[in-house]
Amino acid sequence: MNGFWWKIGGALIFLYVLIGGLVIPIKPGITSVTPSNAKSGEEMSFNVVGYNTHFLAATKVRAWLKLDSIHAISAKEIQKITENEAKFTFSIPANFPVKEAVQPLSLIVDNDVDGVFVQPNAIFATVADSSTISGEAWKSSGIGQFSVVKGIKFPYRNILNETIRNTFFHIALWFAMFILLIVGVYHAVRFMNTGDMIHDIKSASFNKIGIMYGVFGLITGSVWAKFTWDTFWTSDVKLNMTAIAMLIYLAYLVLRGSSSDHDRRAKLSASYSIFAFVALIPLVFIIPRMTDSLHPGNGGNPALGGEDLDNTLRLFFYPSIIAMALLGTWMSQLLIRYEKLKEKVLLKNQ
Amino acid sequence: MKKFLSLTFISLCAVLPLMAQGDSLDFLRSTGKIYSVVIVIAVIFIGITILLYRLDRKLTKLENQIKNEQ
Amino acid sequence: MNITKVKDIFIKELSIEFRQKFALGGIFLFATTVVFIVYKSFNNINPREWTILIWIIMLFAGLNAIVKSFLQEKKETYLYYYTLFDPIDLIVAKLLYNFMFLCVLFLIILGVMFIFTGFPVKDYGLFFMGSGLGIFGISIVFTFVSVISAADSGSSTMMSILALPLVLPIVLLLLKITTVSVRLLVDTAIMDDVMMLIGVDFILLGAMLLLFPGLWRS
Repeated sequence: MNGFWWKIGGALIFLYVLIGGLVIPIKPGITSVTPSNAKSGEEMSFNVVGYNTHFLAATKVRAWLKLDSIHAISAKEIQKITENEAKFTFSIPANFPVKEAVQPLSLIVDNDVDGVFVQPNAIFATVADSSTISGEAWKSSGIGQFSVVKGIKFPYRNILNETIRNTFFHIALWFAMFILLIVGVYHAVRFMNTGDMIHDIKSASFNKIGIMYGVFGLITGSVWAKFTWDTFWTSDVKLNMTAIAMLIYLAYLVLRGSSSDHDRRAKLSASYSIFAFVALIPLVFIIPRMTDSLHPGNGGNPALGGEDLDNTLRLFFYPSIIAMALLGTWMSQLLIRYEKLKEKVLLKNQ
Repeated sequence: MKKFLSLTFISLCAVLPLMAQGDSLDFLRSTGKIYSVVIVIAVIFIGITILLYRLDRKLTKLENQIKNEQ
Repeated sequence: MNITKVKDIFIKELSIEFRQKFALGGIFLFATTVVFIVYKSFNNINPREWTILIWIIMLFAGLNAIVKSFLQEKKETYLYYYTLFDPIDLIVAKLLYNFMFLCVLFLIILGVMFIFTGFPVKDYGLFFMGSGLGIFGISIVFTFVSVISAADSGSSTMMSILALPLVLPIVLLLLKITTVSVRLLVDTAIMDDVMMLIGVDFILLGAMLLLFPGLWRS
């Protein structure tokens, strides 16, 4: 692994992630709709605040309130205020095609600059007369023929906004941490089998960089949580579990620091790190699935996939993991070379 | 000890701007919270820099040791 | 693995324990004092606090008790053991002894807690099954870590540094099972947690049995 190209490769991929991850814009979205309640049979205008939208620049803005896959009404009047603000007036029909007294309606906005964007359950309509079921007024034209906009953009999430870019830095950090720790454990196993000190050095270096990544992950996660949920520490299971994992690995560092005898230290820390890793497997992968978590991938879903990681995010997320892992390997390599040199000097002195 | 200090330093760097809740720092939450991304990248960068700095110091020590022996 | 040898070591451990009555008494005293302090400071303990306290007391009393399982004997004694026994026999015997000891300790703590604070558990089967499995996991971790800390520096500080983070996942599972068994929480899938506890126990046991012979040689 003394080659040169993988280091350059890691740096270049990281650069690609850094630039692409920061430059590519977020898709337009709707931040708020006021008022959020409506009554049937009334004409109501809603003030819509968008994010990254271009209402003024667009020549043709259209909007619909959607009830279900076949029923929707289109806006009667559209008044553009600024690029990010507009007033949509709908006349809500007196009769609904469904029976419930309160109906959530989704707001769909489409224009030729931004393309189409949706705010699910934007408005809750109270149905005054729910006895008459009629879908007559809900047959709207034009829905389905949305403007097509070219170029790649990151998806818009309501509270996350721009922080969705942290996926490439914060979450990728965790995956890279796992890769490094797995390499560390692999070398610990090799050490237990062969008794070769080089594997002890490798295992310790990879573990150290892995722990560093883990601590960065905790700090950056805290920052992200502060911005999105306004607390530094949430009761999120994944977060707490990883904190425990870090505690276990910090104990590993204490163990390595405490012993002066090299052979004994190597043997003890190798067996502790294998044992710790084995204890971590159920911890990090199974237990977080038991309780609700802020992170994607709970309730039995796979951690990746679904809505939270769409294809444009993947375009940068996977390279980011590879880049971080490569850079981590590079740093571990430096530590390994340092430790080897130190060993040599020590042996010469004796 | 040094490790602990540098860790505290990184977390302080990351956290201090957020502790202040006043208007003066409201810009941190502006433009779609883009500054959280900035802080996250800054934390990673500062952390790696501190690692490199420490490694540099340790290597210098080792180099001097080797030089003295010759 | 030789069952008679395991039995021999087990009985030897037991007889040493009973010869040093003060150690046994000390642990009993520790448990009682802690429960009493907790009782006096809370005065009225509700079930939620009860579930948390019982495991915290158990954890620290257990840590105190297990520390000496490998630390109490001298290096020369181990050299002697090394010539006599297979490492697997030794670790299995130690583990079984520690497990039994922790179970007795747990029952003592439960008894003392019962006198002072009552016994809010509703689902006895779940509670004792979960506790047994959890204590088995805890004793695996403690035994293994006491081997490491005995080989390292022989100090008990190292033991608590290394052991406490490692038992955290088990304790979290235990807390959940206990909470369900006192009916503070209704969870139909609690058996999943029990299965997970069994899984954790087996994984840890396997890791220990694989790693111990290598450690033992040093």
